[in-house]
Parts: sequence; structure tokens; C-alpha cells
Amino acid sequence: MATKPASPQAARIFARAVRDQRRSLPAWAAATAALGALYASFYPQLADGAMADMMADFPGPLRDAFRLDDLSSAAGYLGSSIFGLLLPLLMVVYAIATGTRAIAGDEEDGLLDVPLAHPVARTRLLGQRFAALATGTAVIAATVFLAMLAVRGAAELESVSVAEFAAQCLNLALLGCCFGALAVGLGGALGRRTPVLAGTAAVAVVTYVFDRFSGQLGADWLRHLSPFHHYLGGEPLRTGFQWADAGILLGASLVPLAAGAARFANRDLGT
Amino acid sequence: MDTVIELDRLTKNYGRRRGLSGLTLDIHRGEVFGFLGPNGAGKSTTIRLLLDLIRPTEGTARVLGLDPHADAVRLHRRVGYLPGDFVVPGRWTAGECLEYLTSLRGGVSRARLTALAGRLDLDLGARIRSLSKGNRQKVGIVQAFAHEPELLILDEPTSGLDPLVQQTFLRMVTEARAAGQTVFMSSHIMSEVERVADRVGIIREGRLVTLDTVAALREHAVRRVRLTFDRPVPAEGFAHLPGVVDASTQGTTLHCRVEGSPDALLKAAARHTVTDLLSEEPDLEELFFTYYEGAENGHEAGLTPGR
Repeated sequence: MATKPASPQAARIFARAVRDQRRSLPAWAAATAALGALYASFYPQLADGAMADMMADFPGPLRDAFRLDDLSSAAGYLGSSIFGLLLPLLMVVYAIATGTRAIAGDEEDGLLDVPLAHPVARTRLLGQRFAALATGTAVIAATVFLAMLAVRGAAELESVSVAEFAAQCLNLALLGCCFGALAVGLGGALGRRTPVLAGTAAVAVVTYVFDRFSGQLGADWLRHLSPFHHYLGGEPLRTGFQWADAGILLGASLVPLAAGAARFANRDLGT
Repeated sequence: MDTVIELDRLTKNYGRRRGLSGLTLDIHRGEVFGFLGPNGAGKSTTIRLLLDLIRPTEGTARVLGLDPHADAVRLHRRVGYLPGDFVVPGRWTAGECLEYLTSLRGGVSRARLTALAGRLDLDLGARIRSLSKGNRQKVGIVQAFAHEPELLILDEPTSGLDPLVQQTFLRMVTEARAAGQTVFMSSHIMSEVERVADRVGIIREGRLVTLDTVAALREHAVRRVRLTFDRPVPAEGFAHLPGVVDASTQGTTLHCRVEGSPDALLKAAARHTVTDLLSEEPDLEELFFTYYEGAENGHEAGLTPGR
């Protein structure tokens, strides 16, 4: 047998996985970006301080947790509910759903027997399906970025620079990668949908709480274990690109991915 | 002879449940091998071990001289596989599915796919989810045969196919053999295998209970015989002849079953005047049931593999 050139079929799994989201991904990206832009465009009505006055009555710890202390600045406003809660929530839901389906969901539905009986190494399948997921998070983040630029002038958000928006959106994509990689990796190890979905969602909730409430819990160090802290804690909306945080998010993606791939390559495939 | 599949005490345990115990079996290049057994006997377990979808608890398998696990990618290039349950995403069209799967092997010409689909009367434009079980199975057959692999591993290939398509499929298997391809196919129905297989292995509860050529099995099989005489004959005169079972008379007619050679029966019958003789084609299905039901029901003769 002559060895066939690797290039044409090298990225087939990736290309197929991207194609398979050609309807769902644009819809998710558009909805996420539209919601984000809608909320962002309320800023002028709230910037006069009415909202901040109302929030002043909130208990201090809650204000800290949800970043409600500085609602009158554009960066503070965006960082509280929009980039602080709404967008990461939608991103993480996409990543967990897609990551769970990538291996565990397909395996449980019996969809992996056929491709894996083809000349496709298991690690390659896992890696390329994650790459398709990462592409999805990039598409969502880029759409959010463009939507923010579109409303930036009208919504009086010019105090946040384009680069600062880009920095926050990069971290948004990397946050998605982090939880997506966990779901893909757990799927590679376990091969069943429910524990992967439940496990990844639990990690997301717990690390969100770590980020928001570690101060109140008297364990500030916990915050550093949370992807959400590295996503928003460095305040990219005020300070631009935070390369250390981005690197940590990337590293936190690769570890579960590699561990999951190693286990996936050496276990029985479920029927 | 060139060995294509070489199994040595291949064992797979699923927890306490045993999937396969100590299967030793050689498949030769260019043969069609029928792998028979009831559901749950270990057929799919064996096949999934050959393709590295699961790993053996003990024992070894070599396929095309390669290790199914270490050389999985290289091996899969040379194998066509039809799973027992061919599942692909329902939103794909049949054509899209086939193009994708064959592209994983470097591609197969559009003409080849169209020709195979036409032969099986498969509509390439239909969505997988809209296809019946039989039509979905055709997609599976096309993807297994498309790249003309050296070895075809087919798990219950005819399940869901209507009789006409079954004929076409069996012709495709015969042609594959003529082209030098090796076919390993499982089934739980003897009749569909005996028509194309050179050799048959019967597996029950994870163990190989017999392994023989179809011709030898047929020789061994039980045939029903009906003899009519010009006057009533006593059944006792036939009941204890070698190879004769269940002899009974009804007036001038003797019914019995004969295992192996009918020589003793004919010689005994020749002492009377025979007016009619009917001997049915040996029923392999019946032989098959005796293996299925197992040794506890007797038929020790059937349990010696080979000869």
C-alpha cells in the first residue's frame, strides 16, 4: 500500500464538525451578540447615576460579587451584567453543550464506531472536534466584538477602546475553550453524556462562585483557581490584553484535553 | 496459505458477563467466512475487537499481519467495515455521508459511489433520518465496499434488506471473493451464509462450537427421508440402523431422519419393494439449531470441529 498524502484528508474531521454546526452556530452567535449589544445600548439611560444610586442600597458583599460598584463608567457597566454574567453564561452553555456532544454524546448515540473504524486515530478525532469547538467560540466572540463596535458610538461606550473590547472578547473565547475542553476531555474519559454534562456544569458553577465570593469566604486564593477570574479579573475592558490570564486559560484548556485524549485512546468504545 | 485474520485465545470479559472466551480462529486470504451464532453469542464482540473499537482481556488478534491496536490507522485503510448497527447522523444525506466517510480514506470516485448506490437502489439525495432500516443498511454496505478493501468485515450485513437486495448483496460478496478480497461476515441465519461462504464457524456463549467447510457441514447434516413400500413394514426394522433417527411408519410409508450416509437405510430398504423415495436436501438450519441449543441436548457427533 502506498501511503497516501496526508494533507487532503488531514482536517476532514475538523471540517465536517464545523460544517455540522453551520446552522446552530451562526444562530447562537447572533443571539449572543444581539443580547449583549441590546444590554450595552441601555448604558446611556443608566449612566446618569440612577442605577448606581439604586445599587448603592445593595449590601456591600453583593455589590462586590457582581461588580456593581462602578456602574456609571462604561467599563464598569459592561463588566457587571453583560461581560460579567450574560455573555460568559451564553458562551459557557455553548461550550459545554458542544463539548459534551463531541465525544460523549456521539459515543452514546453509537456515532463513533463508524468514523473510528476508518483510518482515523482516536486522538485525532478528539483533537479536531475540539478545534471545531474552539472555532465556534472564536466565531461567537468575534460576533460579540463586532456587535459591540456597532453600538459603541450610539451607546456612548467610547471610553472603552476597540483594543479593550478585543481583549475582553478574546478572553470570552478562551473561557469557552476552557469549559469546552473540559467537556471534550471528560467525554473522552467517560463516554457518557450525563456525567460529562453534570460534571462540567458543576465545575462551571463552583468556579463562578469561587471567583465572585472567595472574598466573602475569606479565601481569596480560591479566586485564582477560577477560569472566570482569569477571564474578567484583569479587567481587559480597562487595561486591554492580559496575556498572562489568556495563557492560563489556554493552559487550563489543554490539560483536560490531553488527559481525556490519553484515556480515550486506551479504553473500550461504548456501544 | 496466507492468513488474513489470526485469533489466538481471544477473550473479552465484560465485568462478570463473559463476552468471548478463548476464541482461536484463522481466516485465509480470499475466502468468504460465515460467522454464525445466536444473538449475544459474541459475534459483534469479536468483530469490534478486530477493529480496535474494544480491547481484549486476554489473547491476541492479528489482522492483515497487523496489531489491531498499535497499527489501527494503517489497518483500517485496508479494511471495510459494516457495523451491526450502522449509525450516522440523521441530518446528513446518504450521498453526503458516503462522500465524507470515503474522504477519510482519501476519497473514492463519485462514479464508483453512484454505481454502487444504483446497484442497491439507494437514493443518494435522501436524508439518513428519512431512510428505512433497510435503506440505511445499504448506505453501510456501500461505504464498506466502496474502496475495494482487502478485507471486508461485515456484521449482520443482510439485516433489514428485502430479499431482492439480499440477492444483490450476496452477489457482491461473491464478486469480492472473485476479485481476491477476503470476507468475514456474521449472521444468525444459516441459509444466507451457506450460499456464499466457503467455511462456517458457529459460536455460542462466547465459544466456537464448530468450524468447517459448508460442504462438510452439509455432509454431516440431517436429511429427512420418506420411503414408500408396496406393503406395510415394521418400524423396528429401521429404528436401530446406524445414522437413522426418529423412524416411524404410517401404513406403507416410513418417515425418518438420516445423519451422514444413507447407506445402511438403503440396504435395509432394499429387502422390501420400494415404490417411492423422497430425500430432502440436508437441512443445515436444523444442524445449526442443534449447535445453538448446545451439547446438553445430545448430538455429540456435531460437536467435533473439523474432520
